[in-house]
Amino acid sequence: MPNILGSLAGWGVNVAIAMTALRTNLMRSILTTLGVMIGVFSVILAVAVGNGAQVSVTQQIATLGSNMAIVVPQPDSGSGPPRPTDRGRLTERDGRAILRQVSGVSAVAPQIRSSVQLVAPGRSATTQATGATPEYGVVSNVTASEGRFLTEGDVSAAARVVVIGQTVSDKLFADANPVGETVRINRVPFTVIGLLESKGSNLGNDNDDQIVVPITTLRQRLLTTATQGPDDVTLLFVGFDDEEALLAGQVEIKRLLRDRYRVPKGRINPFTVRTTTEIAETTGQVTQIFQAVLVAIASISLLVGGIGIMNIMLVSVTERTREIGLRMALGAKRSDIRNQFLVEAAVLCVIGGAIGLILAMVAAAIFQQLADFPAPIGIDTALMAVAFSAVIGLVFGGYPAIRASRLSPIEALRSE
Amino acid sequence: MTIPLLETHDLVKDYEIGGEVVHACNHVSLSIARGEFVAIMGASGSGKSTFMNMIGCLDVPSSGTLLLDGVDTKTLDSDALAEIRNRKIGFVFQQFNLLARTSALDNVAVPLIYAGLGYAERRERAKAKLEEMGLGNRLENTPAKLSGGQQQRVAIARALVTGPLMLLADEPTGALDTQTSLDIMGIFQKLNDDGITLVVVTHEPDIAEYAARRVVFRDGKVIEDAAVKSRRRATAHA
Repeated sequence: MPNILGSLAGWGVNVAIAMTALRTNLMRSILTTLGVMIGVFSVILAVAVGNGAQVSVTQQIATLGSNMAIVVPQPDSGSGPPRPTDRGRLTERDGRAILRQVSGVSAVAPQIRSSVQLVAPGRSATTQATGATPEYGVVSNVTASEGRFLTEGDVSAAARVVVIGQTVSDKLFADANPVGETVRINRVPFTVIGLLESKGSNLGNDNDDQIVVPITTLRQRLLTTATQGPDDVTLLFVGFDDEEALLAGQVEIKRLLRDRYRVPKGRINPFTVRTTTEIAETTGQVTQIFQAVLVAIASISLLVGGIGIMNIMLVSVTERTREIGLRMALGAKRSDIRNQFLVEAAVLCVIGGAIGLILAMVAAAIFQQLADFPAPIGIDTALMAVAFSAVIGLVFGGYPAIRASRLSPIEALRSE
Repeated sequence: MTIPLLETHDLVKDYEIGGEVVHACNHVSLSIARGEFVAIMGASGSGKSTFMNMIGCLDVPSSGTLLLDGVDTKTLDSDALAEIRNRKIGFVFQQFNLLARTSALDNVAVPLIYAGLGYAERRERAKAKLEEMGLGNRLENTPAKLSGGQQQRVAIARALVTGPLMLLADEPTGALDTQTSLDIMGIFQKLNDDGITLVVVTHEPDIAEYAARRVVFRDGKVIEDAAVKSRRRATAHA
């Protein structure tokens, strides 16, 4: 026990000696610390941005709705004689068939998507229009924060009504309440019946820059190109009761559609069925790779900082060879000398790491404000930063420290 | 009959310089008892410093035996030798070897760090030693603000602070003027009177006359070893 106390006291002395040595060469110490500081700063920021990308992607997927499959026609680019289905086709009837025949399906939301031009008195905007049914609101968590969402009545009557996103509202009506106003969509007058609840933006993708109109109205009045059939859709959202039903349902939907389009065995499906779970997984993997690449690049600067530490510590050992000899003559053991220089390197690194961490936090906060992009720095990241810089200190300070401790007392004393 | 504080048998130190072997210390057998005041003399290159570095455990002999306080130093590892340097031997150097930009007090406290003492006790003991050396009013001065004689007295305080059995001084007056040199020798004589064993390496014959015994080296060998006949006394200006 006295041994442990003694060695603790010894470390305290080493810290004091290190601080004195670092103060003596203040400018050099600051420049050396700068290397580690920049290294830790970039690694932490890279981790934060990577984390932010992940959070962002997760949010984006959450805005799609959960336990949902997205069915999209997929033109077959394979060889062989062309078939009607090769052009990629999906209809509202397919949607009704899925609702009827696939188990666990809670709702099907057929949609047609088209780019449209909106004009309000004195202002205009271009945005994406989704022709939808009330099910769209159910399946993908879309509600109206002002006014109301689409109803069955709107759809069956092909009413000229529109629910607009926040961004569109800002562009056309500024701060005024848009509900009840009239807009011209592709020159056709529509009445605004509601404002979509804001879903924010993710990764530069503005979720509020869209409008929703009844699918029937879009088909009859807004489509500029003719579709193949009277009830063709761009895609189907299929909502499931739970995740289990979703997994089984994905396979069932594929089988059902192959049957309906009589796709022969061995031929690629003329549509894709992706689940929100799958999308989350793939994008999760992509962001992980993104983060790994960022961290790898940032690590290079940390490595360079570490080499800077080693360089300066070697210079320091050479410069202070006589001091090392004197300390040995006065009773310093090899381990005392080694620890003295190790602590000196560690102090440099930990100070650099701490400043780097603080700067990274400031930068992340600024980034968050300016780019509207989350860059969270958690306690784990902070601990990692401290551990990182300590390890850098031990690794790159280790060699010079051991070299110093191996000096012969008399040769060290004799050096000039 | 007590065992000598220091005993060497056939102590040899060889150096290889440019492919040629130099016998810096050539079969030296010497015994120094507790309480002795020995001056080691010789021209530059005579081997006197090499000998002192070995008895101070700073350098390792090529062959031969060195017994310190009855212990064969061959059996000791580097940590044990460091401990001997810390507890049993005090060094005083020609160029003082004080840590620059470090106060007198902190300089004197350095050996106590390696002795494992706590901060308060280190300061207390260092302060006491500096006061003994008449430097009670210079505790916080850095070496740059002290005269040569004062610096050497700080160095002596540092050598004494762990309470060693023996003080080894390598040309302690080499960088000092005559009067200051006398002061230092006076301090040494007083310390010797108090029971500390002293070994002083010098090339100045009149400095050697303050010691009680004179050992002369030439070409790595002892050529003369006798008591100083007309020993001088210096009064310490403390």
